[in-house]
Amino acid sequence: MNTYVSDEDSQLAMESEDDDNELSDVELQDAFAKGLLKPGLNIVENQPKRPANNADGLKQCLADFRKSLPWVERLDLTNKPAVDIAVQAEGKVSTQDSGDINADDDFQREMHFYCQAQATVLDALPRLQKLKIPTKRPDDYFAEMAKTDQHMQKIRQKLIMKQAAMEKSEKAKKLREQRKFGKKVQTEVIQKRQKEKKAMMSAVKKYQKGMTDKLDFLDGDQEKGKKGVNKTAVHKKIPSAKRKYKDQKFGFGGKKRGSKWNTRESHDDVSGFRASMAHGKAGKQKPNKRPGKNARRKMKNRSS
Amino acid sequence: MAAFKRKRGAEVRTGKTAKKVKFADNGMEPSSVAEEEQKNEFCVPAPISKGKWKNKERVLVFSSRGINFRTRHLMQDLRTIMPHAKADTKMDRKDKLLVINEVCEMKNCNKCIFFEAKKKQDLYMWISNVPHGPSAKFLVQNLHTLAELKMTGNCLKGSRPLLSFDPKFDQEPHFSLLKELFIQTFSTPQYHPKSQPFVDHVFTFTITDNRVWFRNYQIIEEDASLVEIGPRFVLSLIKIFKGSFGGPTLYENPHFQSPNMHRRMIRLAAAAKIQQKQTVKQMQKKKKMEEQEPVTKDVTEDVFVTPAEEKPEIIELQPLPPKEGKKKKEFKRRRMLKRKNL
Repeated sequence: MNTYVSDEDSQLAMESEDDDNELSDVELQDAFAKGLLKPGLNIVENQPKRPANNADGLKQCLADFRKSLPWVERLDLTNKPAVDIAVQAEGKVSTQDSGDINADDDFQREMHFYCQAQATVLDALPRLQKLKIPTKRPDDYFAEMAKTDQHMQKIRQKLIMKQAAMEKSEKAKKLREQRKFGKKVQTEVIQKRQKEKKAMMSAVKKYQKGMTDKLDFLDGDQEKGKKGVNKTAVHKKIPSAKRKYKDQKFGFGGKKRGSKWNTRESHDDVSGFRASMAHGKAGKQKPNKRPGKNARRKMKNRSS
Repeated sequence: MAAFKRKRGAEVRTGKTAKKVKFADNGMEPSSVAEEEQKNEFCVPAPISKGKWKNKERVLVFSSRGINFRTRHLMQDLRTIMPHAKADTKMDRKDKLLVINEVCEMKNCNKCIFFEAKKKQDLYMWISNVPHGPSAKFLVQNLHTLAELKMTGNCLKGSRPLLSFDPKFDQEPHFSLLKELFIQTFSTPQYHPKSQPFVDHVFTFTITDNRVWFRNYQIIEEDASLVEIGPRFVLSLIKIFKGSFGGPTLYENPHFQSPNMHRRMIRLAAAAKIQQKQTVKQMQKKKKMEEQEPVTKDVTEDVFVTPAEEKPEIIELQPLPPKEGKKKKEFKRRRMLKRKNL
């Protein structure tokens, strides 16, 4: 029997049991007489298709089909994946007990299969040994293998090539690093030497001009061992004011052209504030060690 | 038919059935078997089965026409690792599947693995227990054969495998049926004349993502260190039938999506994306073409109106008188003079 669904209340529809497209007039008249038809356009709804799952049939089939063989014939085992001993030793225990493994995560998936196989092997080997089935092939037993020797040679070659390539790339990397490092060390040494030379020359000049009368630049190497360390450390960490200014002006490609300059940050920035200048010492004289013309005239008159 | 029938279980004569393999000069040591001739030819002895072969399982592995090289290699690999397997010629696609039952009977096989390729793209596999038993159809994906160089393991040809199953196989009736089918098909019978007595590899069947994953590992050490031999593939179950290659459907996999549908979904998704872009463009065009009414009133006009008195406009016509300076410059002048006089 078909159940008819009218267009207006198709949402509260009843599903039809039998999908029959050929609706004869007689049938329709019968249905109308019985009161199953409602006014309006009637649509026959299909039963949603449910996939077949005949559990009883499956069990029956299994019972018929099953062969009761001793375990020796079948050699099958059902087990959960084992926790690998090596993995355990490293301390990385992956969460295999947490339900489904992600089929897209290749490494996890393959590890899961590997561990399952391992568990089987660990279970099965003692059983096989009890049944006197050998699992280890003696060294002098030559028999045909599933893959030919030629093929195994090819595989070995490929592995060796891969290893060789890796080693080569490692060596190249190390060499590059060494060269860079060597270059760095070289430049540092040269710079150090130049600095020393400069310092020595300026010290000699000062002595020549009569500004210092000490001769300790001659044995400066002993003291520089102590002081030099601090100086170099200081020089490395803090860039000089000149460096800072240059960086600010030209650093990062000099992007200062289009930037705003009357912003909140610039307004709040009080680094350009000099208290001494601001509170106006009313034009402080330039501290000049050389006395003025009058003073010099007087001094000259006095001395002479 | 040969007049001489070899007695099963007796010692095999190495003369007839042993394989003569010529070893090239690749540094292999001669076998330590003293009886054999020390020429360039070495005889590889045939496997000796020391018991009676009782469990008569034979598997017929063959395919339809239109398969590609990978499937062909897979079939060869299956025949290699399963000594109880037999080969047959390709079946014409015109014949119905029930013909396979007759083919198997002629070859005296009671299991069958049949490969079918559609559109030269999709590979389907049937596993069936031939006379009456159940059969299952799968879609094969992610197929890798023995010959791939990444599979570095090796095993004896014809050695018996261990079978390893996921606990999920025991949880559902259709999976337990599949498990039984796999066990009977893939396990080599004991004392099969072509089998080797050692157990040195293991097949794993795992259920993940509603599919059955197959792997083959070689057992290297007693502490269960393994290397993969291959082949490897993934089976998506489609249907289980009660009869062999036919009969009522016992189970249909609701998660299975046919490869055609899959390709269609991908194409539809791509098409939908493009269509969406086009509709967006069209709408933008439409908006531009529409006449926009000129706005008569400026909504933001009153924002800066503040209540205050209006100042009268005064226009200065004469310049302002100069302001008186606050700073007294007299003292400054005096100071400057003083300095000069110094």
